[in-house]
Amino acid sequence: MKVVFDAFESFVGVNVWTMLFAWCNLLIIYLFLKKILFVPVKKMIDSRQKEVDDMYSTAEAAENDAKAMKAEYEKKLESANEESEEILRTAQRRALLKEEEILKEASVEAARIRERADEEIALEKKRMLGEIKDEVSGMAIDIASAVIGREVSPSEHEKFIDNFIDELGTN
Amino acid sequence: MDLSVNGPKVYVRIEWLYQKFAGSMADIFGNFGNIVTQTTVSLFAVTIILMIIGLVGSRNLTKRPGKLQVVTEKLVGMLYGLVEDTMGKHNSHFTPYIGTLFLSSIIGSLIGTTAIFRSATGDLSVTLAWALVTTGMVWYNNIKNFGFKAWLKGFTEPIVVMTPMNIVSEIAQPISMAFRHFGNVAGGSVLTSLIYAALAVASKALFGWLPAMALELFPPVLQAGIPAFLSLYFDFFSGFVQAFVFCLLTMVYVAAACPPPEELKSVKE
Repeated sequence: MKVVFDAFESFVGVNVWTMLFAWCNLLIIYLFLKKILFVPVKKMIDSRQKEVDDMYSTAEAAENDAKAMKAEYEKKLESANEESEEILRTAQRRALLKEEEILKEASVEAARIRERADEEIALEKKRMLGEIKDEVSGMAIDIASAVIGREVSPSEHEKFIDNFIDELGTN
Repeated sequence: MDLSVNGPKVYVRIEWLYQKFAGSMADIFGNFGNIVTQTTVSLFAVTIILMIIGLVGSRNLTKRPGKLQVVTEKLVGMLYGLVEDTMGKHNSHFTPYIGTLFLSSIIGSLIGTTAIFRSATGDLSVTLAWALVTTGMVWYNNIKNFGFKAWLKGFTEPIVVMTPMNIVSEIAQPISMAFRHFGNVAGGSVLTSLIYAALAVASKALFGWLPAMALELFPPVLQAGIPAFLSLYFDFFSGFVQAFVFCLLTMVYVAAACPPPEELKSVKE
């Protein structure tokens, strides 16, 4: 073995030693870079990709959930609206019925009151007529007494008085 | 203008082995005695640089990346994307090797621009070694996936007469890959040194009217500037393209030996 510094290899030539060295270096670089660079970096990229994918799928699921919930609420709200309308309608109907009832009752009551008033009026009229009759018969007796000049007793001249009153009524 | 185109410098040589091959063999096989050459040193430097790149690039990997990690992840992701696009998703596990090859090739070419080291890929031994690894991978995967018999039978297809052609093309494959890469890098460096020498001559011609003393001291000014643009092409662009081509060919050849699992099943049945 000799150290030389002034010699050159041929420009186009194959050197088995250099080839061996190239192979060894290639193997060393390959193992080293694979272990320290390619595999870890790829793993990192993949795991991040997976994380992002997971995030997206979770977000999508959450969105779907929210959408479903919204639809449900909308449905509920609609049914609530319907219910309230129904309640309102029933109340209206009931109020109408009540109104009719009250009106009917009121008219019945009014009729009754009027009837009673009529009766009372009739009674009063009768009573008044009686009273007037008594008054008139008294007056007639008084007048007759004055005219005849003697006492006229109602019991004796009842028939006469009655005739007189009747005549008075017809005139 | 004196210019010599040489291979890598020899540092350590086993004398008897060198003597045995030096005289009788052609130029191509005359290097067997040289244990340590410039290329060996370059390859060593490439290894160290790539280890540092790997260590720095993968430092403190976190879910929330820093600037450096973003760059690292982008590049590694691109590499995985390229391999999966070219070879199919099922061959994704080849990415670390393709990446190693790519980085080794690029750094091996660019290391020549430092003027301290010679381009590692400017030595046929290196590119041939890499190309033979590709061939080895192709053969291994072919035999593993299709069986030894089917692999041998593959040489007789489409017709038996083609067998010698197929064998030649199988041998030519690593050789052409090796020479393509080596030729581009080494050719680029030869061209660059030719132009350097030519510019020195032109410089001398331009300032020939100066007295001889001044001419000795005067630097060849024309050498400044122009070679820089050539270097952009021959070292950076060509280095990148050749690394890419080498990796692409490796991917295509290996992918042909590693079809998708479903296809493999249908082939076997």
